[in-house]
Amino acid sequence: MITKTIDARGSYCPGPLMELIKAMRAAAVGDVIEVWSNDAGSAKDIPEWVEKMKHGLVHVEETDGYYKIAVEKKHA
Amino acid sequence: MENAPKLSIILASEELEKVHAASLMGSVAAMSGMHVSLFVTMNALVPFLKKTVEDRSFKTGEVGKALLEKAERFDTLLTNGKELGHLKVYACALAMDVMGWTVDDLLPVFDDVIGVTAFFNLAQGGQILTM
Repeated sequence: MITKTIDARGSYCPGPLMELIKAMRAAAVGDVIEVWSNDAGSAKDIPEWVEKMKHGLVHVEETDGYYKIAVEKKHA
Repeated sequence: MENAPKLSIILASEELEKVHAASLMGSVAAMSGMHVSLFVTMNALVPFLKKTVEDRSFKTGEVGKALLEKAERFDTLLTNGKELGHLKVYACALAMDVMGWTVDDLLPVFDDVIGVTAFFNLAQGGQILTM
């Protein structure tokens, strides 16, 4: 299900978003990228970016003090 | 992307927090599909001087000190924004002239040195933020 995982814990906004965007560029349509972040701002901001760019938000899960945000690449 | 929304940011403050916020907003906007022009004018050019960076002589408050310690520096944000989106950074010709600075005195994030007329042409029809 998850094609690639990025551990961006320890990075502040917009670091996790930038890491996600870099991975999304390299990914194929249909791939699911999961980014890990302990930055609460990114957990709110990344879903906003996903909606604006018309990709798919698969989940936002909070576990052990960090967030796992999974995004499906919907278009090139 | 000819019809991409335009955002122009006028940065006129040397306070590190405002420089960081403008750089962050500009880079995230560019990565979100906007065409961004950042116009750095007056004292806002001071933190972009190589000498200021070498001496770490930034003008900061409490948040700025924490940013320097923990976050990516503002010019890294701008470099990322340029790589991942449409972001152009311009230095104000007047401030450069009166101070006798050239682009070689500045961090390598600037695309050009321009005047107000050129900036207004770039900004026309889009949103403008002032920091």
